[in-house]
Amino acid sequence: MTWIAVAKKDFRDAVQSRALWALVGVFVLLSVFSTYAYIEVPQLFGEPAGATFGGLVFFTVGLTSLFVPLAAIVVCYKSLAGERELGSIKLLLSLPTTRLHVYAGKTVGRAGVLAFGLGVGLLVGLGFGAVLLGAVAVVPIALFLVATLGFAAAYASIIVGLSATTGSTTRATTLALGFFVVFELFWDVIPVAILYVINGLALPTSMPDWIFPVMQVSPSAAYFSTVVALLPDLSASVSAGGQAGVGMSPAEAEPFYTAPEIGIVVLVLWTIVAFLVGYTRFEAADV
Amino acid sequence: MTAIDIDDLTKHYGDVVAVNELNLAVEEGEIFGFLGPNGAGKSTTIDILLDFSRPTSGSVTVLGHDAQSEGQAVRRRTGVLPDGYHVYDRLTGRQHLEFVVELKDVDDDPTELLERVRIADAADRKAGGYSKGMRQRLALAMALAGDPDLLVLDEPSTGLDPNGAREMRELIREENDRGTTVFFSSHIMEQVEAVCDRVAIINRGELVAVDTIDGLRDASETGEVLYVEVDDVSEAVVERVAGLESVADASTQDGRLRVVVADATKFAVLQAIDASVTPVRDFSVVESSLEDLFVRYTNDEQEVRV
Repeated sequence: MTWIAVAKKDFRDAVQSRALWALVGVFVLLSVFSTYAYIEVPQLFGEPAGATFGGLVFFTVGLTSLFVPLAAIVVCYKSLAGERELGSIKLLLSLPTTRLHVYAGKTVGRAGVLAFGLGVGLLVGLGFGAVLLGAVAVVPIALFLVATLGFAAAYASIIVGLSATTGSTTRATTLALGFFVVFELFWDVIPVAILYVINGLALPTSMPDWIFPVMQVSPSAAYFSTVVALLPDLSASVSAGGQAGVGMSPAEAEPFYTAPEIGIVVLVLWTIVAFLVGYTRFEAADV
Repeated sequence: MTAIDIDDLTKHYGDVVAVNELNLAVEEGEIFGFLGPNGAGKSTTIDILLDFSRPTSGSVTVLGHDAQSEGQAVRRRTGVLPDGYHVYDRLTGRQHLEFVVELKDVDDDPTELLERVRIADAADRKAGGYSKGMRQRLALAMALAGDPDLLVLDEPSTGLDPNGAREMRELIREENDRGTTVFFSSHIMEQVEAVCDRVAIINRGELVAVDTIDGLRDASETGEVLYVEVDDVSEAVVERVAGLESVADASTQDGRLRVVVADATKFAVLQAIDASVTPVRDFSVVESSLEDLFVRYTNDEQEVRV
């Protein structure tokens, strides 16, 4: 079980990243500020009935779905490419371990760092909200944390996987940012653009069913759906504030792939596929 | 018993042939020097030995295990000081060793290991602040953890001052006395000469010589070199000296005769020159240095012959 030793070492190392803690600091500031704004003037955020804890959780999802990808990039992009570029990987691979254990240890270690930073940020942010609201809902918070940690694990797996495909941190940065741009910034647009083209350069009056699962390929969209799937009551009581496609009621006879649970499947698939691709490339590489 | 068996090893990087059909056997218990100029293929060979790189063809067996398919078994009994490595800047020296000890699943004391390489006083400082020599000592301590059967040291003196290099040699001998086989590479003959039982010289990916230090000395045609001062160093004189039975080769250098002694005493050669060619005014003797030999093996012939 040498991957445990690798993960521990990696956690000790990466948790000292200044960039990570700068990001956590920004996240905390942002979440404290926005929590305060949400609770003081809920009308601004589409909650004329007043602030609720459920609303706050969904509000926080918007923050974490941006913070997690950025933090994952900062924490993970150098995980393997950086060790190969510097040569510290030679010290690591000189030891009685295997590349599978090194790779797995890296992924777990970096995911741990991400979870730690995220945990600190959320504790402060949601704690502040709970104090202001004077209420805590334990189960929703726990489920929200599970979803968010799953999202963080998927992103750690993706960025470590991308980092494993190259021995250059410059290329690793390009790949990580490229992934973010394509799957987080443009992904809303791409399926609609395809639809626009195949519909004869016009938008159809109603969106076809397949649009929803395609949208879910974006990890943060899958994350949002996961939260909806885990917290159906809360999501029903909260108007999901303009987030596409998740407000549909379960009563309608929709195909199975339009259920929000598809988000869970997508996150699990990202985690596994990224791990397999990254490991295969790392295993075959001359370091 | 063979500690390292390299069999027909070839490694290409794109069009570049880094190692070409290399065959080499290192016996258990010996200190083996792997010598060659920069870029000769030493590190590539070691990289394949440790499964950092995969061979294009051929195979390497280390301590009875295939280096590629049973790498973990190899590294379990091997201590490695790689070349071009980097320490973890944000971890302390002690944390490095704690990690290594845990990974090797041994119960060595990190402090003791750091004491052996004389950086125990910096144990709790981050390795990012270490000097080059201290990093080299730290990496050596990591290699020594777990009392390995084989030490693979790639350019171990890199970054060490002369004192440090001497301590490194002492450590190598100490480990060897405990039965550890040592395989180390260097581009400096002097370091290899000082500790090695046997030496392999590699150039442009190919093996050019494998022998003991004494064997290399004996085998070299530069057995002994005499520099002889004479009045006349003309072409004709050089030719006549070269024609003497006791002389292997003669040339001119800095206005003197450079005479390579064949199967004879230096005295006999001097006498022969003095008696039958030209009067000898003065002379000096140079014992063939292995450095000379190394240069000879690894440079083009024309560049060496003046």
